[in-house]
Amino acid sequence: MSKISIIAGREFNERVRKKSFIITTILMPVFFVGLIVVMALMMNFQQEEEKQITVLDKSGMVAPKLQNSGDLIFSTSESSFEELTAEKQDDLYGILVIGENVIENPKNVQFYTYESSTINIEKSITDQIENILEEEKLKSYNIENLPQILAEIETPVSMQVSQITETGETKAVSNMVNIAIAYLFGLMIYMVVFLYGNMVMQGVIEEKSNKVLEVMVSSVKPFQLMMGKILGIAAVAVLQFVIWVVFIVGVGGALMNVFAGDMIEAAAAMQSGMPMDMTNMAMDADMASVINTITDPGYLIRIFGGFLIFFIGGYLLYSAMFAAVGSAVDNEKDTQNLQLPISIPLILALVVMVNAMQDPNGQLAFWFSMIPFTSPVVMMARLPYGVPDWQLWLSIVLLFITFVGMVWLAGKIYRVGIFMYGKKPTLKELIKWSRYKV
Amino acid sequence: MELLKVENVSKSFAKHKALDDVSLSIPRGSVYGLLGPNGAGKTTLIRIINRITAPDSGTIYLNGKPLQPEDVTRIGYLPEERGLYKNMKVGEQALYFAQLKGLSRRDATARLKKWFTHFGIQGWWDKKVTELSKGMAQKVQFIVTILHEPELLIFDEPFSGFDPINANLLKEEIMKLRDNGATVIFSTHNMASVEEVCDHITLINKSKNILSGKVDEIRHAHGNNIFEVDFRGSREELTAALTDKCTLLESNDENSVYNSLKIHIPDDGGVKSIISLINDTVEIRSFHEVIPSMNDIFIKAVAGQL
Repeated sequence: MSKISIIAGREFNERVRKKSFIITTILMPVFFVGLIVVMALMMNFQQEEEKQITVLDKSGMVAPKLQNSGDLIFSTSESSFEELTAEKQDDLYGILVIGENVIENPKNVQFYTYESSTINIEKSITDQIENILEEEKLKSYNIENLPQILAEIETPVSMQVSQITETGETKAVSNMVNIAIAYLFGLMIYMVVFLYGNMVMQGVIEEKSNKVLEVMVSSVKPFQLMMGKILGIAAVAVLQFVIWVVFIVGVGGALMNVFAGDMIEAAAAMQSGMPMDMTNMAMDADMASVINTITDPGYLIRIFGGFLIFFIGGYLLYSAMFAAVGSAVDNEKDTQNLQLPISIPLILALVVMVNAMQDPNGQLAFWFSMIPFTSPVVMMARLPYGVPDWQLWLSIVLLFITFVGMVWLAGKIYRVGIFMYGKKPTLKELIKWSRYKV
Repeated sequence: MELLKVENVSKSFAKHKALDDVSLSIPRGSVYGLLGPNGAGKTTLIRIINRITAPDSGTIYLNGKPLQPEDVTRIGYLPEERGLYKNMKVGEQALYFAQLKGLSRRDATARLKKWFTHFGIQGWWDKKVTELSKGMAQKVQFIVTILHEPELLIFDEPFSGFDPINANLLKEEIMKLRDNGATVIFSTHNMASVEEVCDHITLINKSKNILSGKVDEIRHAHGNNIFEVDFRGSREELTAALTDKCTLLESNDENSVYNSLKIHIPDDGGVKSIISLINDTVEIRSFHEVIPSMNDIFIKAVAGQL
């Protein structure tokens, strides 16, 4: 048995037997489910404070038709702007001033607020004003039965989105599911890379402060030590991931059978082109595409397989950096400034991920899903929407090449770092260490 | 025949020189003391021998051949800073280290059981290291160091943290290992233990080898021609007889029947004639040269007075 596998074996055994492993393995899915429930609840029961807006309408056309929408409450006033602003009224959010000639000059609208306004509020107001003005303009054409005509021509469109597969079949896709999966898995990669990377770092610090390293290095090379630790913890992570997948698929499957049995049938019916009950059409079309998406084996393999590959790659890359940082310090308190260069690309990846979910094939998403330091998170966000094979493979190859390079560099820092005591090194020093001949 | 040879080894760190052209040669089957004050460069030398760090210049030979990476499995190293995983069970941990040294799991288990029985610590197998005292943990570490029966053993301050009984036990084990053919390098400041167990020493001070050789020879070479005589008879008569021939250094309690006297005999003073002079005056119980202790030699050498 090689020394790396002996070391990895110890790391694995020690960690898997710990109570904390069993607890996180059980609690993580519960935590995630809880998080989703809380987020859903927050969206449903979002109750914001009412925002009082006083309208000074010099044209007299707009104010009467402004409707309170959501949390915006409009009230008209005859006072002048100066009178209104002379003294701040309690719970007044803002003042909307509409010019006399607003029909001819729609730019003559001002909105003054006491707090900073938001894009949503601004859009809600301009939308309303636009509608009112358009209606006024329509009226000026003196068309007969105008309200009736308008009511008749109103046509809400519901589009069912399908993707054409390589074999020429069409499959309903749900962007709702895609966004959820992209978000969930991207976030999960970010979290587990941090979690397990930190585990590597703490392990190295523990060995250094226990002086175990002094004993070990006479029988193994520092590089073997580092790789053994990284691989052992990777095995722990994979085991944990497999348990989670089994849990999710098991619980999800059971729930689906209980609550959504007929929906799956409906989805299957739609897939095969059979006509569906028209009354349920609108609602079921959405639901059916959701179910079609998450029960498609190809889709699931792509997501879970991709997650596993990018998680392992991302973990290996970052854990090598975490190991180098751990080797350089005497205790955890000293790690903060050295952790910064590790955290920045990860946080950047998270920012780009949000963008990538909206534009999965855009330039930004493409480049950041190629750069190895951000690709695990960003590629996870693109994967549900489908990524060309060459991009996927290029990204994976780049990730693993960078990992090898990083391990080599981290190994050099590690070798020097584990025997440096009582110093709080800077990043510059770490890079210098990598050039030491030891 | 030497087992290990260190030839002109130098090593510098960023700000200071840890080893400056150090050479030494360690005979096979000896217990070799590596002495020196704190920060002299002993640990650096040991790390170079262990291939933990590489020298800037110079070579290490094992059995006449330059030291190879695989050779570390022939070395057992007990570092000064003892280190064990605190939350791991003693037996598992010992097995782990033994496997890293290249022993199979079965071999390692059998040998460990034997040693644990020998040291009377069978009951510790399933204990965690945190439950052990410092001395107990060091026993475990000692076993782990010697378990793979290496040719060369390196002990850095092996007795620190041991009570006298266990220190003796350890000393006996080290002598037994030597008798079975192992060569031992022994780094310490404890000069009493050096006199007891070491055959050869090297004294390193300020990165340089300032004194090397057999312990007996070094001590005799640094004798200052001081002799001690134990006698029965009249102190006054003896001192009167010797006053012209040599320098009287000190004498003990004057009321005792048995007296002793320390004298310094000049190089050309003629020890023989002085003995016969003493013999004529008083009854000699013993007469011997006072050999300086390693402690005296160490302090003088480090202070630059040799």
